Amino acid sequence: MGWYILKRIVQTIPVIVFATLIIYALVFLRPGDPVLNLFGDKPVSEATRATIESQYNLDKPFIVQWLLFLKGAVTFDFGTSFSGQPVIDQIQRAFPVSVTLALMAVAFEAVFAIIIGTYAGIRRGGWFDGVSLVVSLVIVAVPIFVIGFLFQIFIGIKAGIDWLPATVGGDWTVTDLIMPAIVLGLTSLAFAMRLTRGSVSENLAADHVRTARAKGLSEGKVVRNHVLRNSLIPVVTFLGADLGTLMAGAIVTEGIFNIPGIGGLAYSAILKGESPTIVSVVTLMVLIYVVMSLLVDLLYAWLDPRIRYA
Amino acid sequence: MNAATTAGSAPLLQIRDLDVAFRNEKKQPVPAVRGANLTVYEGQTVAIVGESGSGKSTTAHAIIGLLPGTGHVTGGEILFEGQDIAQARKQDIVALRGSSIGLVPQDPMSNLNPLWKVGHQIKEALVANGVATGKAADARVVELLEEAGLPDAARRAQQYPHEFSGGMRQRALIAMGLAARPKLLIADEPTSALDVTVQKQILDHLDTLTDELGVAVLLITHDLGLAAERADHLVVMYKGQIVESGPALEILQDPHHPYTQRLVASAPSLASQRLSSGKQRSEVREAAHKQARHGGGESAAVPADVGRASDDVIEVEGLTKVFTLPGKGPFGKTDFVAVDDLSFSLRRGTTTAIVGESGSGKSTVARMVLGLLEPTSGTVKLDGVDVAGVRRKEDRLRLRRTMQPVFQNPYASLDPLFTIYRSIEEPLRVHGIGTEKEREGRIRDLLEKVSLPTSVMRRFPHELSGGQRQRVAIARALALEPEVVICDEAVSALDVLVQAQILTLLNDLQAELGLSYLFITHDLAVVRQIADDVLVMQNGRVVEAASVEQVFSAPQQEYTRLLLEAIPGASIPLGVVEAGGSSAARIDLDD
Repeated sequence: MGWYILKRIVQTIPVIVFATLIIYALVFLRPGDPVLNLFGDKPVSEATRATIESQYNLDKPFIVQWLLFLKGAVTFDFGTSFSGQPVIDQIQRAFPVSVTLALMAVAFEAVFAIIIGTYAGIRRGGWFDGVSLVVSLVIVAVPIFVIGFLFQIFIGIKAGIDWLPATVGGDWTVTDLIMPAIVLGLTSLAFAMRLTRGSVSENLAADHVRTARAKGLSEGKVVRNHVLRNSLIPVVTFLGADLGTLMAGAIVTEGIFNIPGIGGLAYSAILKGESPTIVSVVTLMVLIYVVMSLLVDLLYAWLDPRIRYA
Repeated sequence: MNAATTAGSAPLLQIRDLDVAFRNEKKQPVPAVRGANLTVYEGQTVAIVGESGSGKSTTAHAIIGLLPGTGHVTGGEILFEGQDIAQARKQDIVALRGSSIGLVPQDPMSNLNPLWKVGHQIKEALVANGVATGKAADARVVELLEEAGLPDAARRAQQYPHEFSGGMRQRALIAMGLAARPKLLIADEPTSALDVTVQKQILDHLDTLTDELGVAVLLITHDLGLAAERADHLVVMYKGQIVESGPALEILQDPHHPYTQRLVASAPSLASQRLSSGKQRSEVREAAHKQARHGGGESAAVPADVGRASDDVIEVEGLTKVFTLPGKGPFGKTDFVAVDDLSFSLRRGTTTAIVGESGSGKSTVARMVLGLLEPTSGTVKLDGVDVAGVRRKEDRLRLRRTMQPVFQNPYASLDPLFTIYRSIEEPLRVHGIGTEKEREGRIRDLLEKVSLPTSVMRRFPHELSGGQRQRVAIARALALEPEVVICDEAVSALDVLVQAQILTLLNDLQAELGLSYLFITHDLAVVRQIADDVLVMQNGRVVEAASVEQVFSAPQQEYTRLLLEAIPGASIPLGVVEAGGSSAARIDLDD
């Protein structure tokens, strides 16, 4: 197991290196002049331009820019943004809110998906199953920004609940994030619920479940000990991967609720063409995703004793 | 097991006029069991025998209220110690399960929860039935596993099912079924997924155990020989009805119902012989030689000595396959020798059987001979040409034409989205044989050869029975007029009667077309019916290679003797003498 984890961690190094290269290339190839972006409508003198270009290494070929970035990254120096803030500070400010939001969304998803999905799976074909199917299809079909606005209007503004504000802003608290987390988690909730439901109803028909009944276990024990745990393996895998995706930023949800998270940071950096910020943030997203998938694999092995990595 | 029946005592289990039905998609009832009557006394062993779909397992599941899906009791009563289970409340049935009626299920691979330790799963049975809790239950689990014949039980209880072999799992399931000391144990095909030698050990052990504990056993099996060997009383089921019941030996030696008579006649026990006589066999060989000489002229392009029609169509020399598996450490590798230095030859127009238990390497041999798997070393020669040396595309196609496979599971080996016509036509199309019209005529011929009506052409595999599907697979294999057919467990998935029909068909086709068979099987009884020569394999090596007569009458090796002894019902004299003969040869199209 130790060897396996080490192998996986070593494997992430080339992934990260090449991810930065690709991102750098994309930023370099995108149309628009970062210096002009910085000055907006004002004219830029040749001398100022030369100074800025040499300050941010914009005058060097892109491979050199990339190598310089890598050199800095090894010592946790990710450069500075055009406004003069170190990129690392920007990330440190934006990251906690994104992580909190993602954790809350996945927690919400997990609890409701498993409860509703299990019940629908046990009563497959019943009215509850039917209603939950229709509702989940509606949720999947409606875009997230529509759901977001509806929540803002009806819960944030019309209902006027103090601790469920329509927007979040810079000084955020955990309760501020409840509504965004629900909106963010809804789509995946629908998927995870259908997954649980299918898995439960399939496992109910498994031979070992019949054996469990035959040895005299009560129905509740059969479901808890022999159906649920087996059914949750694919669900947990899905939720883990989802946590990785959500942590790496939820640009739309963050935008709707004005949350100063990592998604918003990436979005504004892309608009401004700030390559150090873009590359650092996107690399962080890749890193989170890689680490989360490793954790999911380890979790998988913990849940299912048949899986052993070597 | 002894019949501990005391006259006048009330039966433990009495089933009267039981009807069980399933509902189809239109909510209409489809009867699965009709008017079944059955009585089990305390300590008695009763066996229900029947083929798949006969309703034997459904009857068993009705007794413990575990009918799958839409199954439900529609009539009659199931009296257990005088109480009608069919009408009982749910919690009353749950109370009976485990404590009064135990179950040993069919497939040990799927009947243990893979996520819980084996000991924990047995402990659950103890706790649920109020036998013991906590530390006492843990200690009892170890005793139960020991009692079920599992060595090193204390350590084994702490392991997961996947760390157990099939036989060990079945022992754990027996321990589980007997954990709360039920009065009746339902054993639903308890050993049909296991190798014969393991099967014998487990059944012997179950016998002694239930005898000691005085547990009545309801044994469900498809194997008449096994049932007769283990049970006092036999019940034969056919299409949802009990067609015959009585003392085991009586039924075997004097069957009354026509179905039972056919079943007894087809039982692949030791009493059966090669399906055709020695004289017929030599004629077949003669014909095969003639054909080969004739065919040798045609295939002159093959880089081999032209016209060579040697006695051996396949020669295998020093065949070895080593699989590399991940081992300890980050870069560790271990070698697993699946087939070790195997040599044999298949004489033209004859059948060579490769027999072995699971893991013996017999299927690996089949795949290497077919050229689907590259051998680590050694050669396979077909008509004197090294199969591995064939590189050119047309030579490869020719090789495929000469050698065709028939696999075990006819449902898995036919594409479910292809019509039967398309499945059989595909090889002809791939090899560019004939026009559309000619191909259709050829397919009609082939279907006739395997005794299927031409109306099946437009149907899909799921619309056919297992036996019919296997006939289609044989027709497909014969489409290219091969010289050699490699049958990898070709009859293992089939019911006894259907199995007998398919074996007869293979035998007739061999005589008609001069085919040579390489027949891979785990079942020695089948070998007797179809093969001329036998290779007995164990752990990748050939233990014994001889003619069928030699192997069966004078086995030289201990392992071969062990395999022979393990065939269930081998010692029971059957009522019908011409076993596997005319009665089995009748083709029943609704098989």
